[in-house]
Amino acid sequence: MSMFENNKSIEKMNTNEAYFESRVDMSAPSLSVDEFLADEQTRESSTNRRDFLKFLGFSVAAATVAACEAPVTKAIPYVVKPEDITPGKANWYASNYYDGNTFASIMVKTREGRPIHIKGNTDFGFGGGGISPEIAASVLSLYDNERLKAPLISGSQSTWADLDKKVMDGLKNAGEITIVSNTIISPSTQMLIAAFSEKFGRVNHIQYDAVSYAAIRSANEKTFGLAAIPSYDFSKAKTIVSVGADFLNGWLLSNAYRVQYAKNRKPENGSMSKHYQFEANMSIAGANADERMMVKPSQYAAVLAALAEEIGASTLGVSSGEFKSNAQIKAAAKDLKANKGASLVVCGANDEALQMLTNSINNTLNNYTSTINIQDDVNLFKSEDAKMERFVSDAIAGKVKGAVIFMGTNPVYTHPKGKALGEALGKMNMTISTASWNDETASKCKYVAPDHHALESWNDFAPVRSFYALAQPTIKPIHDTAAAQESLLVWMGEATRAGRESRAYYDYIRKSWAANISGRLGADANFEEIWNLAVHNGMMEGPKAEAQAPTFNAPTQVKPAQATGSGTHEVVLYTKTSMGIGLQAGNPWLQEMADPISKITWDNYITMNYQEAKDAGYNVVMDQEHGASLAKITVNGVALELPVIPTPGQAKGTLGLALGYGRGENGEAIGRGAFKTKEYGGYEEKDGKRVAIGANAFKFVNFNGNYHYTGAASLSKIEGTYPIASTQFQLTAMGRTSIVKETTLDAYQNDDSTGYNLPHMLMTHHGPEPVSKFDLWASHPVEHIGHRWALSIDLNSCIGCGTCLIACQSENNVPVVGKDEVRRGREMAWLRIDRYYKSSDELAIGTKKEEFSFTALEKNIDENPTVVFMPMLCQHCNHAPCETVCPVAATTHSNEGLNQMTYNRCIGTRYCANNCPYKVRRFNWFNYPAYKKFTEINPSQDDLGRMVLNPDVTVRTRGVMEKCSMCVQRIQEGKLKAKVDARPVVDGDVTTACADACPTQAITMGDWNDTGSGVRKASEEKRAYQALEEIGVKPNIWYQTKVRNHSNEELRKHQQAVAAKRKHDIDKHAHNHAEGHNDHH
Amino acid sequence: MKIAKSQLFSLRSFTLISATVWTLFSSIFSGLSQNGEELFNTHCATCHKILDNSTGPKLQGVRKKWADGGAAEATLYQWVKNWQVAAASDPYAKSVSEWSPTAMSVFGFLKDEEITAIFDYADNYTPPAAAVSVAGDGAVAGPTEEKSNNWVWIILAIVFSGVILAVGGVRRQLRFAVEETETGAAKNRSYGDEIREFVYKNKIAVGLGTVVVLLILLVNGYFALNEIGVYHNYQPSQPIAFPHSIHAGINGIDCKYCHNSVEKSKSAGIPSVNVCMNCHKGIQGNTDAQKVQIAKIYKAAGYDPEGAGKYTGKSEPIIWNKVHVLPDHVYFNHQQHVVVGGLDCKQCHGDMTKETTARVVPVEELSKIEGNIPLTRATLTMGWCIECHGTKEVSAGTLNALNSGYYDEIHRRLSKHGKSLYQKMLADEKITVKELGGWECAKCHY
Repeated sequence: MSMFENNKSIEKMNTNEAYFESRVDMSAPSLSVDEFLADEQTRESSTNRRDFLKFLGFSVAAATVAACEAPVTKAIPYVVKPEDITPGKANWYASNYYDGNTFASIMVKTREGRPIHIKGNTDFGFGGGGISPEIAASVLSLYDNERLKAPLISGSQSTWADLDKKVMDGLKNAGEITIVSNTIISPSTQMLIAAFSEKFGRVNHIQYDAVSYAAIRSANEKTFGLAAIPSYDFSKAKTIVSVGADFLNGWLLSNAYRVQYAKNRKPENGSMSKHYQFEANMSIAGANADERMMVKPSQYAAVLAALAEEIGASTLGVSSGEFKSNAQIKAAAKDLKANKGASLVVCGANDEALQMLTNSINNTLNNYTSTINIQDDVNLFKSEDAKMERFVSDAIAGKVKGAVIFMGTNPVYTHPKGKALGEALGKMNMTISTASWNDETASKCKYVAPDHHALESWNDFAPVRSFYALAQPTIKPIHDTAAAQESLLVWMGEATRAGRESRAYYDYIRKSWAANISGRLGADANFEEIWNLAVHNGMMEGPKAEAQAPTFNAPTQVKPAQATGSGTHEVVLYTKTSMGIGLQAGNPWLQEMADPISKITWDNYITMNYQEAKDAGYNVVMDQEHGASLAKITVNGVALELPVIPTPGQAKGTLGLALGYGRGENGEAIGRGAFKTKEYGGYEEKDGKRVAIGANAFKFVNFNGNYHYTGAASLSKIEGTYPIASTQFQLTAMGRTSIVKETTLDAYQNDDSTGYNLPHMLMTHHGPEPVSKFDLWASHPVEHIGHRWALSIDLNSCIGCGTCLIACQSENNVPVVGKDEVRRGREMAWLRIDRYYKSSDELAIGTKKEEFSFTALEKNIDENPTVVFMPMLCQHCNHAPCETVCPVAATTHSNEGLNQMTYNRCIGTRYCANNCPYKVRRFNWFNYPAYKKFTEINPSQDDLGRMVLNPDVTVRTRGVMEKCSMCVQRIQEGKLKAKVDARPVVDGDVTTACADACPTQAITMGDWNDTGSGVRKASEEKRAYQALEEIGVKPNIWYQTKVRNHSNEELRKHQQAVAAKRKHDIDKHAHNHAEGHNDHH
Repeated sequence: MKIAKSQLFSLRSFTLISATVWTLFSSIFSGLSQNGEELFNTHCATCHKILDNSTGPKLQGVRKKWADGGAAEATLYQWVKNWQVAAASDPYAKSVSEWSPTAMSVFGFLKDEEITAIFDYADNYTPPAAAVSVAGDGAVAGPTEEKSNNWVWIILAIVFSGVILAVGGVRRQLRFAVEETETGAAKNRSYGDEIREFVYKNKIAVGLGTVVVLLILLVNGYFALNEIGVYHNYQPSQPIAFPHSIHAGINGIDCKYCHNSVEKSKSAGIPSVNVCMNCHKGIQGNTDAQKVQIAKIYKAAGYDPEGAGKYTGKSEPIIWNKVHVLPDHVYFNHQQHVVVGGLDCKQCHGDMTKETTARVVPVEELSKIEGNIPLTRATLTMGWCIECHGTKEVSAGTLNALNSGYYDEIHRRLSKHGKSLYQKMLADEKITVKELGGWECAKCHY
């Protein structure tokens, strides 16, 4: 609310790069800091500068030293300090994020009035406040220098007055007005569009989503009479069956589903959901599934029919074909039946028939009163596919005469006929876009009335029927932009522009809440109270309808849509956790985020079955020097050339391809990070235009009543290879037991934990002793005294989404280095997520079979492997190998258990990185904030992009090591909070950015020395282990063994044998020992 | 609430002080007005000035003003005693009540003759002819910046070198000419040949000389590098010659009134202009020099002091030169030191009640401040920080009981689980900041 009287100026903070003190003493490599500093000899002498000048007179040296003098620094206080801003202190505001494809409740951290970090609103937020990498990274897009800074007319900068006048004249004279928007979930905007329609009379509003779920709505209308997308609750489901739905990434409200799903995946709670996944691509959900089966999209119908048959639901006339009596489907059906009313079946196909079949199954399973609530329906994804398709055809045919307004949508990019649509739009004379970037569609429009960034605007959202969310601005508009809604109001003649101070849409929202919403929240509610609370919490929850089972009207015969065209393969289009539908393709954080499955950055590519690719002669071994083979993929006559990545777990005969890439094909200004850069900086150019990253897979979307994201494809190999920037080329854990530990739920519940979590013991004459007892060094006094900061990472809860990666990058000013540097293995990420597939020479990931070959481990990946995601960061070893080898004591241990990295002391020998067993140290090969190679991609090289930097963390310069600091700035802040409150530190005072961002709460941070802390308890769980425990570095990070809810008898037997052997060893020694004693007596 | 109170306090004290200043220079007046002067200073000066409008209107000629306005003199007296009664009965008094939203206090206890004395004093008052050096004169000499005159020396050096080379060249040519005429053979040796010859002849001397020069360069270079970023007495010029001595010294304003985030944040905060305006809306300066400086605040705030004063809305921030500059890789938090550590501002910043604009107070001066640990390393260097951290005691019970909740737990853990270490730390009978980790890199560098 105070955002209206915002910052006039900001006090200068230490945001800029570190510089080095010249006082590096190289004499004491092995001393601790204390000893090092205590050395009296290093503290001698103080001759002041004036004496020095006297000695030397005018010599060259004098000139040099004079040049070293620090420049005068300015300090500019506010003229009128906003009441709620304290320089040096962060403010957090509750807000909400919606971009047409994803919704989440967020908390925005601002410093001196500028947003610098986003996390989920876990206290009040929708669906538990889960967010995604895209949302966490959106704070950087706010500072994208290519965002529109003023309205455009015919592509050239103009003024609002001019634009408004021309648009108002145009609208008055236009025949019909077509508004093409994304799904509007803002109650106020809906009201506004209704008023707009009434005012002009001839308005045709089309809601169009880039990724459509229209079939779910129409299927529900046909089977239940309710054209709705229901609310799903994965936390109540004991059995989850997903057919092609990646509900942990992208599918519907996946931000909320992640939170729900993880609640039921902790074996400590006594039970764990069982998750079956039937799919073609290795998706995030598939990688987390307990049982996964590879099927082609064309087989989804048969899979669902077979499931229906097994549980006794109507198959609606769909044949189960080859899947009749399939063992895996039988198993899934058995579990579903056993958990009637506590199970959930979802299907990812945008196909009405398949969705009706899914409804039939869920209906028979009585899920509509528990895991599915169709009364509290979802307001997102109201795509009107047929209407949109007609509009596009008409526009291309030149039949659209009147005015067209595009709001929050970019069909020239996302529609398969986008190119033709773009050409058609270019010929029309009354086209308006409210895009924030001059994107594919906006650049074809005559008028562009740029909208604010989400963090600059007021808005309201109703993601589901019972939930009202408010988005509040966290910064004044940076550029001369205006809320799209304000533009509509102005064009209706109901508001006037007031520049950055404008309250037009804010007043409208308040009016709409007063009129419509506050009443729904309680009859006697005071509006101002409701409003203030809603602004504070970011939301208001209305009465929630109880789930009631709707009456199921089974159609007798449904017909699954057939893929059009023909080809050798079926292609499945999917969205990545980073890129989504490409709205933030210009965001370098997202471009550089490694894909959870492929670990590839800066590209999209064709994923193909590993064996198939090998047989067809595609390159399966890739590294820095060896790129991927290129192939031409043709769908419906459209061809794209892309690299082929052999991917374990990809169904045979299918290909995967990510949407969201290939933005800015004609060099449109969609963001600085969206284009390929050259080896020594500058953009790659072709015909004078910048070259887009990846290729646009939306061209493969086909329309068949609805938009379909699968289709027939033919693939042909073409000459040449393509360099790939991957952060992990290894596929397996190579059977190393002490990296990843995995067991089954049965074993976890019934067997001795030494079977799956065998502590490393060394044999001594006293018997077996744990590794931790042996040491070359005197121990650091961190255990039990003072603090000992520690993390526990639950491999069961970690779904690999990567939100933590962006949170870490944002919190710690981690530079972006670009594709070429990533390819050379020089990525700077402090936190990475390692992905391990199971090899067929392993019983489970990390557990070798009795008979195995080392060479086979990495080569023979299971065709359908299980997957483990393992977040890897500095382990803050209490006996850190890096610390002992630093020649200048730049990396030392704190008495709070932190492995400290002191940049201004580091001279860059990189010895520490060589000595790190976890490979988590990163070296600044270049001056990323200044070197020309990174000008286009590293935000800190841009005056505006620099605003995103966290002022509490130094920006590192060339030649120093850096690594995870366990967010020491947050630790210091949390400790200070406790000190000021005069109390000990408690859980919640201190948390790392990664733990804070994790939607599934896989990461717990706290003080291990506090016996009541969550992390202490987690470290004492029987699942807890430390990575590479046997090398004795005593990390302060614990991992929790992955527990898979499936049956793996061979693994269980092996683990039982391991436990028995350990017991035997200990008993035997105890026995021998006892006998030995007897002999003496 | 705290701020509001202190604000009121400072406003009042400030006005009182300026009134006292007048008192000193108006002793020429008669006994009656002497009485009036006293009364004015006691009761009126908080809000009224004689010649200027302040919180209330100026008092000189007020009787005439009221008479011109058509009000009886009795009404004016009534107004002074209780303005509401007067405003209710008289239209002119009512119009006066709308002059400012701030209501006047009630002075029912003043006798009529006392009021007359005040008005007489006000009407007869003339400002002191020349404001000769007043205590608290705001005309602080702008801190002078040391100007480098190195360039003069460099130019001189170039000129002299040129002269030397030219003369030397001429001499050399002459010598060659002489040699040529003497021996008949031209010996056009180059400079290089000559130098080589010279060095060869004086091997030992040149060798030793080189070593000495190198050593001097090295030693001095080492000391010079040690001085980089060290600010001795750094006192940059400031856009406003702000006298801390008047504000914190004479007027006794608490440091935290202006640097008000010192207890809440890592930065103490440079006051925003609206904080200055809290007092300076009323205080426009006594001398021309003061007025010039205070006018800069008005310009920044966009305030027009004429008449009853109003804001024009055209503000501009004041761009100060930062005095206490830490390198970007250093994290320093005021809250930690002031609230938790219980340090007083002067312990690091010196006694600002005697300073004009801020400067980096040298460590020698700081060490003399009462209660300070004597330190040796230059102020604001890392040596200075860790020297203090190495000495400052945070033993159990040494901190303010209100602040020690956190440390109690640390001491408890130490005495329970780390007895031997605790004993070792207590060998000198105290626990220092250093012993609890105050010398560790990542406490300040991250």
